[in-house]
Amino acid sequence: MFVLNVVGLKKVYGSGDLAFTALENIDFSVQEGELAALLGPSGSGKSTLLNCISLILEPTAGRIEMGGKTVYADGRMQVPARRFRRQNIGFIFQGSYLIPFLNVLDNVCLAMELNGRKGKQARERGMELLRYLEMAHRCTSLPGKLSGGETQRVAIARALANNPRLILADEPTASLDTARGLKVMELLKTIAQERQAAVIIVTHDERMIQGFDSVNRLQDGNFQITEQSGS
Amino acid sequence: MDLAFKDIRQNAGKFLATVFGVGLLLGIVLVMNGIYRGNIEDGIWLIENTQTDLWVVEEDTAGPFNEQSRIPRDTWKSLAAMPGVSQADPFISYQVERIIGGKRRRFTIIGYDVFGKMGGPGRLVAGRTIRQAHYEMVADAKLGMELDEKLHLGRHEYTVVGLTKNAKDATGSPLVYLSLPDAQEILYQKDNRALELSRSRTKSKLQEIGLSEGEREKVLPLVTGGASPDTINAVLVRLSPGAETRQTAERIENWLHLSAFTTEQEKRLVLKGRLRKMTATLGLFRALLIMVSIVIVALMVYILTMQKLRPIAMLKLLGASGGTIVRLILEQSLLLTLGGFGLAYLLASEVVVGFGLFPRNLVLLPGDTVTTFAIVLAGGIVASLAGVWKALRTPPSNALG
Repeated sequence: MFVLNVVGLKKVYGSGDLAFTALENIDFSVQEGELAALLGPSGSGKSTLLNCISLILEPTAGRIEMGGKTVYADGRMQVPARRFRRQNIGFIFQGSYLIPFLNVLDNVCLAMELNGRKGKQARERGMELLRYLEMAHRCTSLPGKLSGGETQRVAIARALANNPRLILADEPTASLDTARGLKVMELLKTIAQERQAAVIIVTHDERMIQGFDSVNRLQDGNFQITEQSGS
Repeated sequence: MDLAFKDIRQNAGKFLATVFGVGLLLGIVLVMNGIYRGNIEDGIWLIENTQTDLWVVEEDTAGPFNEQSRIPRDTWKSLAAMPGVSQADPFISYQVERIIGGKRRRFTIIGYDVFGKMGGPGRLVAGRTIRQAHYEMVADAKLGMELDEKLHLGRHEYTVVGLTKNAKDATGSPLVYLSLPDAQEILYQKDNRALELSRSRTKSKLQEIGLSEGEREKVLPLVTGGASPDTINAVLVRLSPGAETRQTAERIENWLHLSAFTTEQEKRLVLKGRLRKMTATLGLFRALLIMVSIVIVALMVYILTMQKLRPIAMLKLLGASGGTIVRLILEQSLLLTLGGFGLAYLLASEVVVGFGLFPRNLVLLPGDTVTTFAIVLAGGIVASLAGVWKALRTPPSNALG
């Protein structure tokens, strides 16, 4: 079953003579449990596509469906973007995007609280996720005290907090060394398989995409090659 | 999860330092409020605490406090005989500076009719009122004198028989109450050397106009003596029950060629005359200080918000509602203002006023304190709203760098 289906997506920045087309006629889909990679050089439109999928940026044209529901079509959002995002999408980013004044457990619980899940239940679920990611021993630490790998594991725990059907990861290994980067990728593969979530990872590092179900290469706002596993 | 408290807890040092700074600033505002009110309270204390219906002074003057007023002492007798007047007593006041307890102290002497009682000290904290026509005094405790202590004034020694608390003149100087004749004697009596010089000067002038030795001796007492000791500054008038104040005042003005003011008019004269410039200066300084404080508090609140724009963008990316973000900013703004104001109040009321650290009278009126708090709070909220506006406009993509 498709978790995400993007049809004819277009994104233009500016207007008139200053208009710049960042994405042109993008067709793209991922299924439950699929681990998809978005590859491309800097400025190819990877982050713009990710921002459009996550409803942070409003596309110029095209259609986005998630879990069978149309979220963008006919030139406008079809759902309340912020609520839809917190209920259905988990984010992992390359830098430290944890809230700096919240400790590790609070960072994970915050994602649940914003979704209406509070108190003991949220904390138990937060600890469960931190144990799963082997970060329970750092639950009271502040983000500033964590290493790059630990930060990413907390970010993954937070992304999983609301059991999202879609996880978006923007260069999640960029600030890590190769060994730690590969560990994070392994973890994301496991999550995709175990939790049947669709995981889309933006990266420019070819070494990190081994074992991915699909690899989508972007060049100047267009998909050049889409490879399926085994192809 | 209370994000504002979590943020403050993790940045406690920075937040407390900011609260301390705001507290000191607002403390100065409250002290300035106190100086302003203290100046007014001091200015009219004597008028308010002299139990009289009318102040009768020299015609066309705004005396006795706003300008000099001199009227003959016997005027009180004419006034006492006026219709509508139940009691009239003479009153005199002037400032002197003497050494008390080894220190040079400035104070105001009030001379009043100790048997008539009007114009005398109100509530005493120790001792009794003056019961003799001479050589007794009631002093304010601020002068540091004790009961039965003696003070040399003019040519005599005066014994302290009673003590008042916070009895002061318009400049905040403590009061000393004396019987009218004693007060007049201290004011007008010259010392022996000055008297001798005056007499010999007059004698030689009388000789120049051809008076014989015998004639000169007879005339001399009539032409020497300087300023008349029979002069007073005002007469305090108590009206008969049912007497109409304005009517009685007009009658006094028309028939005796004097000016008569009610206590309210007398207070207005002082506030709009002698105290006007000082009060206006303090008022302006107070207003400027409040404005500067609001700007600084607003700036601090705004900076606190701006420093959190990235976490705010992250919260928005995670799907946080506008309410969550507004609450984060407003709560911190309120805590900063409340904490700062609480500290300011403690500093002003408990430290500066409580320990008497300021040389002048400080009066912290609850109304002034509440108004200042409301103004500063409003300033903080307006600044928060500017921060909220900025935060709500921050796109979540800002979190991505």
